[in-house]
Amino acid sequence: MKSLQLTHQRACAVGNNTWLLAIHPDIGSIMATDGGSSSLGLPCVFSPKSRQYLALCAQDGRLRIWNTDIKTLNQEYVPSAHLSATCTCISWGPCRKAKEGPQRKKRKSEAGQVENQVDLLALGTAAGSVIIYSTVKGALHCTLDGGHSGRVNCVQWHPEDCLLYSGSDDTHIVEWDLQTGKARCKWKADRASVTSLCVSPDGKLLLSAGHTIKMWDLETKEVYRKFTGHSTAVTTLRFATMRPPDSNGLYFLSGAAHDRLLSVWQVREDGKDKNSVVSFNLTDEPQHIDIFTSNSKEEAVRLAVVCKDGQLHLFEHFLNGPCKKPLSPSCTVQMAGVEDSPVPVPLLAAALTTDTHSLLLAYGNHLQPVMERVEVNTAERHVCLTRDVHATLSLTMETTVSKVKTPVVNAKSKVLVPGLPGHQATVKGALGSEKRKGTDAKEMSIEERLGKIEMSAEKGVKGTPSLQTDNFAVLLVQGLESKDANILNKVFQTRKDILIKKTVARLPLPAVLPLVEEITKRMQGHPYTAVLMVRWLKAVFMLHTSYLASLPDLVLQLGVLYHMIESRVKMFHKLTKLHGKLYLLMTQVATSDSGNKVKDVDHTAKLVYEEESSDDDDASGDEGLPDEDSDVGGSADTGAVGGMEYRLIVKLFIK
Amino acid sequence: MVAHAEIRVVHRGGSKINFREPVITNDSRFLLCASGESVKVYSSSSEECVHDLQGHTDLVSGIARNPSNHLQVYSCSADGTVRLWDFTDGILIKTFIIGYPIYSIYVSEKHGGVVFVVVPMANDKSSELFQLVAVHLPRSGDQEVEARELSAVLCDVSPSPGAASFGREGEYVAAAKGLQLEVFFFKKQKPYRFFLKPGIKKGSKNAFTCVSCHPKEDCIATGHADGKIRLWRNFNQKKEYTYSTLHWHHGAVNTLQFTPEGTNLLSGGIESVLVQWRYTQENQKDFLPRLGAAITHIAVSPDGSLFCTSHSDNKITIIQSCVKVSAIIQGLVKSEGVRTDLMIDPRSKALVLNGKPGHLQFYSLHRDKQLYNLDIVQQEYINEEGLDQFEVVKAAFDAHGDWLATVEERRQKGSELEINLKLWAYDEQTQSFVLNTTVTAPHEDQITAMCFSPSPETTMLVTISFDGHFKAWLLADHSDTKEGASWSCDFVGGYHLLKPGCCCFSADGSLLAVGFQEVVTVWSPSSWELLTTLSQPPGAIRDLCFGRLSCSKYLLGTSTKNQLCCWNILTCSLEWSTPMDVSLLQADPLSENIAAFCSQSGCSDLFVFKPGEPRPLYSQRALCTGKVQHAIFAPRDQMLESCEEHAQWLNRSQLYFLTQHMDLMTFSTKTEEDRLLASSKRLMVDNSVAVTPFYLLLGKHRLQQQQQQQEALTNPMAERIQLPQGSIAIKELLYTPAHVLPSASFLCSMFVRSLLISSSSAREEKEPVEEEMESEEEDSEGEAELRDARQDLEGSAAWGPGEELGTPALTKAQERELRRVKHFDHSWLSSLLEC
Repeated sequence: MKSLQLTHQRACAVGNNTWLLAIHPDIGSIMATDGGSSSLGLPCVFSPKSRQYLALCAQDGRLRIWNTDIKTLNQEYVPSAHLSATCTCISWGPCRKAKEGPQRKKRKSEAGQVENQVDLLALGTAAGSVIIYSTVKGALHCTLDGGHSGRVNCVQWHPEDCLLYSGSDDTHIVEWDLQTGKARCKWKADRASVTSLCVSPDGKLLLSAGHTIKMWDLETKEVYRKFTGHSTAVTTLRFATMRPPDSNGLYFLSGAAHDRLLSVWQVREDGKDKNSVVSFNLTDEPQHIDIFTSNSKEEAVRLAVVCKDGQLHLFEHFLNGPCKKPLSPSCTVQMAGVEDSPVPVPLLAAALTTDTHSLLLAYGNHLQPVMERVEVNTAERHVCLTRDVHATLSLTMETTVSKVKTPVVNAKSKVLVPGLPGHQATVKGALGSEKRKGTDAKEMSIEERLGKIEMSAEKGVKGTPSLQTDNFAVLLVQGLESKDANILNKVFQTRKDILIKKTVARLPLPAVLPLVEEITKRMQGHPYTAVLMVRWLKAVFMLHTSYLASLPDLVLQLGVLYHMIESRVKMFHKLTKLHGKLYLLMTQVATSDSGNKVKDVDHTAKLVYEEESSDDDDASGDEGLPDEDSDVGGSADTGAVGGMEYRLIVKLFIK
Repeated sequence: MVAHAEIRVVHRGGSKINFREPVITNDSRFLLCASGESVKVYSSSSEECVHDLQGHTDLVSGIARNPSNHLQVYSCSADGTVRLWDFTDGILIKTFIIGYPIYSIYVSEKHGGVVFVVVPMANDKSSELFQLVAVHLPRSGDQEVEARELSAVLCDVSPSPGAASFGREGEYVAAAKGLQLEVFFFKKQKPYRFFLKPGIKKGSKNAFTCVSCHPKEDCIATGHADGKIRLWRNFNQKKEYTYSTLHWHHGAVNTLQFTPEGTNLLSGGIESVLVQWRYTQENQKDFLPRLGAAITHIAVSPDGSLFCTSHSDNKITIIQSCVKVSAIIQGLVKSEGVRTDLMIDPRSKALVLNGKPGHLQFYSLHRDKQLYNLDIVQQEYINEEGLDQFEVVKAAFDAHGDWLATVEERRQKGSELEINLKLWAYDEQTQSFVLNTTVTAPHEDQITAMCFSPSPETTMLVTISFDGHFKAWLLADHSDTKEGASWSCDFVGGYHLLKPGCCCFSADGSLLAVGFQEVVTVWSPSSWELLTTLSQPPGAIRDLCFGRLSCSKYLLGTSTKNQLCCWNILTCSLEWSTPMDVSLLQADPLSENIAAFCSQSGCSDLFVFKPGEPRPLYSQRALCTGKVQHAIFAPRDQMLESCEEHAQWLNRSQLYFLTQHMDLMTFSTKTEEDRLLASSKRLMVDNSVAVTPFYLLLGKHRLQQQQQQQEALTNPMAERIQLPQGSIAIKELLYTPAHVLPSASFLCSMFVRSLLISSSSAREEKEPVEEEMESEEEDSEGEAELRDARQDLEGSAAWGPGEELGTPALTKAQERELRRVKHFDHSWLSSLLEC
């Protein structure tokens, strides 16, 4: 233990000229020796290249693999000792080749090669064993036992060969040969536990972090370089460039527990690389890092860091020598729920894509994360996304086995049936662009006009004596003015033709247009009210034709009404057909029944009543519309002819 | 004839997995199914394709387990071969050449070394008569063997694999065809024939559809076209045979299968309900309903725990003990026709087309895998023949994937057409599509085309219908009311009551071209003015397409009378025209290129060109047989950097097309394939899950030897770092208790063999020395650390045997024993080896 402290102080002495090592060395040594295990967090890794899967080891010790395309749970694996030997780290193996066997002569119809599929997943456990899980088979592939006596902190695959490296609390690194499933080499890496590993993209160098960060030559297993700087356990190591180490262009970055800085280190040819060259500012300790390595000096390194506080920071930096100031993120992404008082939704992991604007995010709960490919405006420094995690989860739950997604259909959606405004273009449009422009101007005048009408109507109401409040016409005007549904219902309830006629006749002219509008609105509703409204419409057209004809914007006003009547007339023919068929059926049934029972004529009475009502509707169109528009009249006429036919048929049946 | 060798036409997602009955392996871990010209091995738990067994040169027509080896399967194909595979490693073991196209294969445990295949009677493919023959597979060590020893068993059988079955340990075979059931007893060498009456008068159709024999008893179950199942008994007598009838299915019984113990009979048909009948208590039935589509095949695992059903929508369902669907393997759903065109979802970059009835399917082109089906109609689909139900006929995405428009229609015979136009908004908060507006009867007749305006300012949809109108729908924002934005009709247009056939927006959305039979009308969507009409009779306009980017001033149109015209929109005149029978025009959204598919004498040709240039960039004749009706350019994630001139058009996006037979095809360039090959390396990982001492002794040692040899050949570098291995066999021999050791004769040869390896032991010494050096170079400060390193070294040297400690199979006593042995000095052994 004494020697341990000694070396540590030496390491600090080296690191003390950088300002980030301000923590007392004793605290640092405690952090480095046992702080690593608690602060690593739950392992959460996207599969390489296409990011098809997200592997997550949740609090319950189970490994879950989520499909980021469908956003559903793909597999769940319970390691046999998931409670005692919990999974501490995950690493995806390189993509496996999609096609095996000897290369055949390529024929035309041969199946094309698909993107490589990821398969193997290495898990390090707290008991010291390494598990290899196959996602293709959905089962345990093999276990690598006996390499470590302590908890495995990190597993890393070799990018090319079938090798796996694991670093453990027992201060050793083991190189596993996966073809045999045995350890090929084991060496002591540090005096403290090995908390993190990283293999260089070319597969020749290995970074390990214990007390210090060491760079090993994998061929000889010798220390190539040593770097000191972090006072707490290093949790993340990543290579940031792909260049060879002898070009001064090899950079890597490291993040440590309880450290709000990511450090970038340069591997220099001259060996003067003891200190970090660049550091990135974070809001909390890094939890998940994704990096887009650059191949040349001209290419910027893109970095996405998810911090422990659930924020995502995006960095973009050209790695080119030292930079004194710590860099702040180019964009910060946060996520919030949709509740009344927005609750932050923690981000779990983020992956960069080739497209600079889009990101793959995982957020929510470790047990049930939500994955999303999102386009983020990286020009803004701060982005906040709102997501309804509960609704999303309840939707995706159903998809898991059936692979059927059901889009949301709620009451908010609008339904357009023939006759409703919006189903057909407004009539103004059909008359060409000149008129359209013209009506635009006129539309304003209508509002003004309506305002004037209301004003004048008010005056009119005030002028009339209060004795006449029970008068229907007065009631109607009042109702139209105040848009009081109760009054209007009361007035429109009446069925007496004479009363309607009289009321409409007494109506002041400015109230006619509002009445027509109100009638139009009500006719779009339930057919029952439409039947009542037809009488009123008929009366209006009979008594106020001259006034209506004088209005210049009449087409616009009556267009909706016209469309509705037209569509209903169109339906009328079909309905009469159906009616006729039904009637025939009913009479057949009735005649067959009549052999046993007394004649029952109730059916006919009911059906005839409905026919009368629709006929009335038609008739009103017949009578009222010719004044307005010859076109309307024509179509209404055809409807009437249909009605006539129908009447004949019905009569035939009755007789 | 391939014009350019660098560009190949390849299949993508076109494989059919429901063609033949799938086979479940003995351990229920894998599922094998015939898929085009290959056999696919799926994992039954993860639904992933583990291996693709390639080798056949024609359609694979059947798979059967090898009864003598549970790790092998036979597959037969129309190319006239039977192949034997090792499916765990995906290796072709043997090829038996039969010489006739094979339609189905049967094996029976009793008949070792014999497979039964159905081949045509006459030696040509056109013949309608088939026979069941027994093929004696010659035992020879060659990879390719000719099996000419055929003996006919039954004549005039049905080529369908479900129409024959082996009964009671292979004592007889039952085959059905038409109205006749034939049972052949191998012992007596005598066939019995039973006939049913046609029974058309009573409305019943008695024709046999499938046969299954009870594995233990003399009982044959037959399925019939009218939905009846008959259980035949006493069929070894000509006269006194009996049968009982079961009836539940209302449609034809597609498939029948007894469970391995014969306790249950499974049946399936168009109702998409799996029916389980209890044998001898047939009135007790179990049902597993709502399996999605008509059941075409049923397979049962040899232990009876796993069922799997193939469905008509290219799907395999894996069912655990007849109660729970545990997995679904879904290929590209192939309905009769793609009525919605092919589309690319801008969000997920998936290919979208209509899939299951009433659904849109999302198919990932990168992974070649179906992602999911989106339920558009949201009505229960009734699995019955002859019903007219709502179908999704048109769909369109807007430029960002925020809006999806779908048209569903139902046409019943002799009644009115029902059409619904639905507009779905993508809600980011819930990550799902939400219905915004439903328009019932948007047009009076069929909607022929639909497209969103690409203009970023307005969200506009144009629908075109046979009723002679086109309608423009606009998203109106009612921000004043609480309802939110909804869609309404903005404009109804027409041209001389002609029927419009196609429409296209220009790249910036400022122009809309609608083809009304012979006339192309160009409208301005902002004012709905008819700007100009273009016409080039004779022939109605079939397809329209605006040029992109630098060629956006051109409008291309094809007519039914073999004309491909290119108009210049600026001058409103015809730029050029060629006599070509172009059936489809497709513009690449990322470049100026336009692909034109022409049909000529039953074949399709492809031309890729820029509208401004006179010569095509690429042309390929005889792409596929039949007309290509649907194609799409799918943008690539990463731009390819291909230098060859004729392959450059594939750099930015990839062209996919559907052939007449609903195969999804694409073009693949050489550079792309090279890139894929370069990036992929086969990962060899030893999978040893169950480690027993016996396995450690034999299996591992052999494996190591092999690999050592391999590595010595391929990688001389790797050997240098290898740990001592030559003496492992000896150590293992010493450590393992005697009662688990194999026979001495076996061990003897192994022991001697292990002694022979001395080449590697010379290098053994190098390794520890090297390690010592490096560990010294490390922090060599205190004594303690040095000791540490030495211990470490010892640990690594004693590595090989130490690993056994972790094996679960060893008992405590054995472990103690092992430790004791470990303390011994084994140096004498290695020195012995060096001598």
